[in-house]
Amino acid sequence: MEATGSVTSLRSSLASSVHLRRSEAINLVVVIAVVLFAVLALPSMLSLYWIDTATAAVVYAIVALGLGLLVGRVGMISLGQVAVLALGGWVGAKLLFATSLPYPVALVATGLITMVLGTLIGLPALRVSGLYLALVTLMLAGAITVVLVDTNFPNGGKGFLGYNDISTGTPPSIRRPSIASSDPAFFRYSVIVALLMFLLALWHIRGKPGRAWVAIRQSEPAALAAGVNVTVYKMWAFALASFVTGVAGALLGSSSRVLYAYQFPTSQSIVLFAVVLMGGVYTLWGAVIAAALLQILPGAFTLWGVSNDWATILFGVGVLQVLTTAPAGIAHQFPRDAAKLGKLLFGLARRLAPAGGRAP
Amino acid sequence: MIEISDLTVRFGGVIPLDSMSVTFESGTCGLIGPNGAGKTTFFNVLSGFVAPATGTVRAFGEDLLAMPHYRRARWGLRRTFQTEQAIEELSIFENVAMVHEHSRRSRASRQADVLSAVEFVGLETDPHSRVGTLGVRERRLVEVARAVVGEPKLVLLDEPAAGLPDEETEHLGRVIREIPEHTGALVILVDHDMELVSACCGVTAVLDFGVVIAAGETAEVLRNKDVMRAYLGTEEAA
Amino acid sequence: MPSWSSFQPFIPIGLAAGGVYALSGVGMVVLYRATGVLNLAFGAVGAMGALIAWSMINTWHVPGGIAYATCVLFGGVATLLYGMVFGRLLAARDPLVKAAATLGLALLLLGVMNRLWPAQVTRSISLPTDSSGFNVGSVSVVWTQVIAVGFGIVMTIGTAVFLRVTKIGTAMRALADDREITATLGVPVRRVEAAAWFGSGLLSGAAGLLLADLVTLASDALTFIVIFTLSAALIARLRSLAVTFVASIVIGLVDNLIAPITSITNFRDMTPFVLAVAALLFFARGRQYSFARGGIR
Repeated sequence: MEATGSVTSLRSSLASSVHLRRSEAINLVVVIAVVLFAVLALPSMLSLYWIDTATAAVVYAIVALGLGLLVGRVGMISLGQVAVLALGGWVGAKLLFATSLPYPVALVATGLITMVLGTLIGLPALRVSGLYLALVTLMLAGAITVVLVDTNFPNGGKGFLGYNDISTGTPPSIRRPSIASSDPAFFRYSVIVALLMFLLALWHIRGKPGRAWVAIRQSEPAALAAGVNVTVYKMWAFALASFVTGVAGALLGSSSRVLYAYQFPTSQSIVLFAVVLMGGVYTLWGAVIAAALLQILPGAFTLWGVSNDWATILFGVGVLQVLTTAPAGIAHQFPRDAAKLGKLLFGLARRLAPAGGRAP
Repeated sequence: MIEISDLTVRFGGVIPLDSMSVTFESGTCGLIGPNGAGKTTFFNVLSGFVAPATGTVRAFGEDLLAMPHYRRARWGLRRTFQTEQAIEELSIFENVAMVHEHSRRSRASRQADVLSAVEFVGLETDPHSRVGTLGVRERRLVEVARAVVGEPKLVLLDEPAAGLPDEETEHLGRVIREIPEHTGALVILVDHDMELVSACCGVTAVLDFGVVIAAGETAEVLRNKDVMRAYLGTEEAA
Repeated sequence: MPSWSSFQPFIPIGLAAGGVYALSGVGMVVLYRATGVLNLAFGAVGAMGALIAWSMINTWHVPGGIAYATCVLFGGVATLLYGMVFGRLLAARDPLVKAAATLGLALLLLGVMNRLWPAQVTRSISLPTDSSGFNVGSVSVVWTQVIAVGFGIVMTIGTAVFLRVTKIGTAMRALADDREITATLGVPVRRVEAAAWFGSGLLSGAAGLLLADLVTLASDALTFIVIFTLSAALIARLRSLAVTFVASIVIGLVDNLIAPITSITNFRDMTPFVLAVAALLFFARGRQYSFARGGIR
């Protein structure tokens, strides 16, 4: 039977757990090219203002990755990821001030602690789904934000909260890795960390958790009937998203040197959701696009003297567009839209590069 | 063997299953009945999505209701759904492999087991094609493949032929008939297609309003006057 | 713990706030029941209406009455327009998608508002009823506050009666119960939905106006006050108008009565969140498995 022939030949290719289709191979090459460009060429092309913005974009790409994972893979909408980012920022700042752990260790520790916190807080939310999950996460994020306004972020002070109410002078800076203390160097460091986070996500998506998540997203009863412990896998998705977002939070702290509660308003979670939707939730590139929308676009606007309100308007329209024009699945529609958007942004970036020497 | 005793389910004022009692010994067994008789509710109880008010289910000597739902698949419970639920995003291989990997069977045998299940149901499409690209026939077969992979004990098929043309239904029938022999499992088939039921099932039980009104050899059951009355709703002169 | 007298002034404030939340809550619940849309842009629409009224009074010197009427009308028209376009386009989708779309609307309105009415300027609206009031014991009460509570009560009861007695109201209840069957019964679904959109929009305009007077006329704050209303509506399981009313009053009172308690006053902003989470989790116990596709399909 002809079928057996094709089946046997496939058996050999299945032997390796990574079997590359042509589109995946192309994707891999593009990723490597982009990362190399970002690490090697980009920093020297950008002014300090843009380096700062670009680092923020990298940080938010990681956050968008976490949210995209939850939304696109598992079908869980969390409108509270910015609060998790704030938590990560808090934990990161605390660890970096209070201990002298090597930076990578502090990063991982922050990720793990945020993971535990995020999962614990999100635990009751696991019992609900769909609209209610979105609302619960929004509410929880709001509550966390309120607490943070009161406790503030650690800035080298004593006690558990580590906060000194300093009204004069510059507050102490959150430290950076010793090998990457300058802004361009820290940008490169963040890109590498982001790459690692994306690989971590990819490893999950390609493996057993990824399959279980897709099943859960399509139909929880069908997943259960296949033997998937839905609760555990949902928790795992939450945990992974919290871990990467926690790491991002620590990076954000080191990038901005000092953190304030007003950097993490609840409304930002909604905007994050909007850009993640626009960027596309079914591909990892979507997270990159989302971050670009969130950070680079406003940065560009500010530079051109365009009000950031236009960005907000754009996101609102974007959400409406995405939700109305992708009836059966954004995956089909959006790679095309995302590619168009990507080209647009690349065009923008190229036009801005020559102006990179000027201070904003 | 599976023994259902006194199974009752209550939803508010509705009683989908009312002291349902039946025993299926082995092979492929049919479960028929008019719409709303409780057949899918029965399957949902077995799957663990619905908790019965009273009653017991003993399958292969174990108390099925005592197991948490996701463990039942590991034990050997398999099920297909009325609206087919093969996972569109994943390939045929991944769909079937998923059942295997969540049932704690050894990784080493996974590939062989999956491919043999795919072969068993007669799926000739490339196992790496995404299920979303397949037609109804292939998707139904994927679901059946998921149901037979990795040593199932109890296979529940909920209208597996719905939406299929006659030749496909025949093919499906042949596959279903072979499941008990191929895997050692007990199959319960729910369907409205009486030809399919007669072709596959040695014994059949009939549910009406949540109660078993007849059970026994399929041909006899299908001739039973009470059964005809339940389906047609007409009163026959006794 | 502060004395009773320091709590007293906050009671009418809390009641008034609660009244407005109830007003919005009624609109939110009725719209959700009739169309399946949880309108998270409720506050944004009201805020914009209030800002339009402000401009009419301060920039174009239009008489107050016309400005206020415009605000309310704007709420109705804007919401109706959204409903006719996006409500229609998304009619068959999951409630999650419908609600997420209203988030898009909220962002859009927020951006427009901040563009047209830059946030640096402090604005306020003072309804004529602000200038007179009366005293209950040592507490002064302003007529606006009475109107807020009164309006809340009237709308709750009025809407309940409307739903029960009128043809459109009954049709709305039928839609809430079972959409498909109602359509096949020859009920003019589109017209009924339009009525729900418009009516809830009018309520958001009115609520926006009252909140602009009682609390603040800042687009961000007004947009996110919707969370209080949301909490009340969720406690009522998006179903009972009576519970929505009671929950709104309680939330308004609790939120404002916390103000004088210095030890926890910083956490006052948590009230709606905490209450909402509690309500949601309470609501979700005993979940039923559904075959509906998850996520944003």
